[in-house]
Amino acid sequence: MDESGPVTVPAQRPDRGARIAGLVGEAKNGSEQALGQLVADLSPLLWQVARAAGLGTDDAEDVLQTVWLRLVSHLGDIHTSGALTAWLVTTTKREAWRVRAAGRKQLPVDEGWLAGVPDQAAGCEELAITDDHNRRLWRALGRLEPRCQELLRIIAFVPRPDYQAVADELGIPRGSVGPTRGRCLAKLRILLADDGLLADDGSGGGR
Amino acid sequence: MKPQDTAGTTAGDGPFDSLDAELLDQIRQEYAAADPIPPDLPERIKFSLQLRDLEAEVARLAAREFQPLASRGEEQSRTITFDSDSLTIMIRIDSNGDETVRVDGWLAPPQRREIEMRTATSPLTALTDEQGRFAFASVPCGKAQLIVRPAKDGPSGSSRSVVTPALVL
Repeated sequence: MDESGPVTVPAQRPDRGARIAGLVGEAKNGSEQALGQLVADLSPLLWQVARAAGLGTDDAEDVLQTVWLRLVSHLGDIHTSGALTAWLVTTTKREAWRVRAAGRKQLPVDEGWLAGVPDQAAGCEELAITDDHNRRLWRALGRLEPRCQELLRIIAFVPRPDYQAVADELGIPRGSVGPTRGRCLAKLRILLADDGLLADDGSGGGR
Repeated sequence: MKPQDTAGTTAGDGPFDSLDAELLDQIRQEYAAADPIPPDLPERIKFSLQLRDLEAEVARLAAREFQPLASRGEEQSRTITFDSDSLTIMIRIDSNGDETVRVDGWLAPPQRREIEMRTATSPLTALTDEQGRFAFASVPCGKAQLIVRPAKDGPSGSSRSVVTPALVL
């Protein structure tokens, strides 16, 4: 890892791609343990994808189950870590839209169910926030357009080596010489700089 | 609003740098703390994947309803509907009051099929009648999954198995 490069890849094992590809191969050959490891590794990302799409917690649980059940018959077409992550993210989004389109919100609700429904407008402020730095980060996120909020929430959970594969799937323009910051992250930095959280003077920011 | 962008550090096409990585890490930590995946969900998913039937249709949860009972202290009855391309599966779950539940189910369109109820212990099986009805009088509480298989004495050939996501009874 070249630490002086423009992109740092912290907290990610460099062999992750090979490890995931290996698990995919083992899962194809029927290894329950390998498939279970993929579920453990990637479900936290898919949870955020489903919740960012506006699903309540019950619906999000159902969608994740459906997505993994469907993966079993698609494993044969998937060979790389990036392809796996991109397929899972796209399928989760699609299943989430399907659930929303089916109008399941009309079902009788109890309070617990209602509490699980994220409110796009107020959602960020509603969450328990203790620290000023975090509050400002949430406030900046809350000022972004919903599409950017959703995108950053998803991308933040994508393992960095898979970032480009998922970015391509989600329609984020690809840079010519490598991953670019993207419009949503750029907007967030402007908002944080306006709020005094980042010193946007090119020095890399400060807190 | 066009904020100033003097050094170009906030351009969308600027290179992804260490500050971007740090911001994404912070966003991940915030959402992971504020809206974490239910801790038992990965285990339930693994349970439902143990079947590994590559040919099976996946039924999606289509509706879930609660019917609170009038008397206090009793578990409410739940009705759950699953849809797949070929079948609708409805089940009603009633507590037996002894760590088990009774499950009554209906298939639409009505047909004779074999129903397997996978549980954390041993699987249970039942056959549907001509109206597509089936019942399990006593199913242990906990994780469970339904598999609708072609009936041995039913029409042969075309029918694939249908699997549901894992439920918690």
